[in-house]
Amino acid sequence: MTPFELQLRRDLSLGWAGRGDMLVVLGFFLIIVTLFPLALGPDPAQLRMIAVPVIWVAAMLASLAGFTRIFADDVRCGWVDQVALSPMPLAVYALAKAVGHWALSALPIIAVTPLMALLLNLGPGQLVPLMLALALGTAALTLLGVIGAALTEGARGGSGLMALLVLPPAMPVLIFGALASAPDEGRVVTPHLMLLGAVLAVLLAIAPFIAAAALAESESESGG
Amino acid sequence: MSAALPDNALETAAAPTGLRLSDVVLLRGGRLLQPDLSLSMRAGEVVLLRGPNGSGKSTLLRTIAGRLATPAGGITCDVPILYIGHADGLSPALSGRRNLGDWARLNGLVGDDDAIDAALDRMQARAFAELPVRTLSHGQRRRVALARLTLGQAHALWLLDEPNAGLDAASSIALDDLISGHLDGGGMVLAATHLPLGVTHKPRTLTLEVPS
Repeated sequence: MTPFELQLRRDLSLGWAGRGDMLVVLGFFLIIVTLFPLALGPDPAQLRMIAVPVIWVAAMLASLAGFTRIFADDVRCGWVDQVALSPMPLAVYALAKAVGHWALSALPIIAVTPLMALLLNLGPGQLVPLMLALALGTAALTLLGVIGAALTEGARGGSGLMALLVLPPAMPVLIFGALASAPDEGRVVTPHLMLLGAVLAVLLAIAPFIAAAALAESESESGG
Repeated sequence: MSAALPDNALETAAAPTGLRLSDVVLLRGGRLLQPDLSLSMRAGEVVLLRGPNGSGKSTLLRTIAGRLATPAGGITCDVPILYIGHADGLSPALSGRRNLGDWARLNGLVGDDDAIDAALDRMQARAFAELPVRTLSHGQRRRVALARLTLGQAHALWLLDEPNAGLDAASSIALDDLISGHLDGGGMVLAATHLPLGVTHKPRTLTLEVPS
């Protein structure tokens, strides 16, 4: 087993042990989406118009809620110290954390998206492009979240700082993602989706290293 | 990753195997704790780090472990480092056995059930090894964390932060035995502790003063 696999399995076990956190993110997503039909009224044409933007913004905000916890437990219990002393590079560790976090918090969001699409009267042909774009977009967001989580680790008021840090660079993800989710004439792979993929590829290449640099040093919480 | 190796560390290439600190400056939260610390340790040696709270004992251990940068001074260590700090490195939601196994495999050590059982037995921690670490008492948690010492490499430098705080009498003796055995095998131990360690080797003491 490679160190990457080991860390990923560990995170999946931890995610399963603490599935409450996972459900909070999912619940947050469901609630944000549900609020819109309640506020706008049941006009199907209007709902269809806002379906894609609402699902995207809800997915972004719900993901944001889960980011502060990415490294918090590992830092507090000293696991990051042990990783730093081990042969596994911190960048590999950060990448494994990103993949694990995406699987545990973004996959459930994508899984319930058909239900939300039904609620918002999304056209039947739009569901596949939406889910595909969401998969790429949430992965890119998670990588931004990993950077934000590593940088704000130990900072007081980390979650407020996290929103300010992560949301501005997430704007291209939202723009390309929303455009890719509503393609013309039923095409699935659009230039917007490719651009979204390009953003993901760039983040995949740099995010683990930025996070690793931020995690490389830390003062202990206690002791003197 | 071994300890931080600043560029000027190369000058001490002629030094014998072990740990060498030369004029290390310790900072904590931007405050100066120690202006210049020097220490050299060789295989089979144990050094006790003494000093009042806030004198920089934990900070020194973290600095040697490479978790904190030193603004000046050189640290060289040419053996693997095994660090057990205040935070014991055990995820609360996972069992002691899983935590130890993951740690061993991560470090390329033998982490099969037999090895883990043997390590747990040394610290009499096998009875509660299957429970989530969250449910253990402070002392039990410490014993699981210390079981790591048995799994590590023989010539490693052990950096121990208050290793016997919270341990009962039997576990303290087990820890003393572990340390003595490690020193016999050519290992090194640097321990910050307020409590006496009953090791067979005569320890040297490094006392840190409170910063003025």
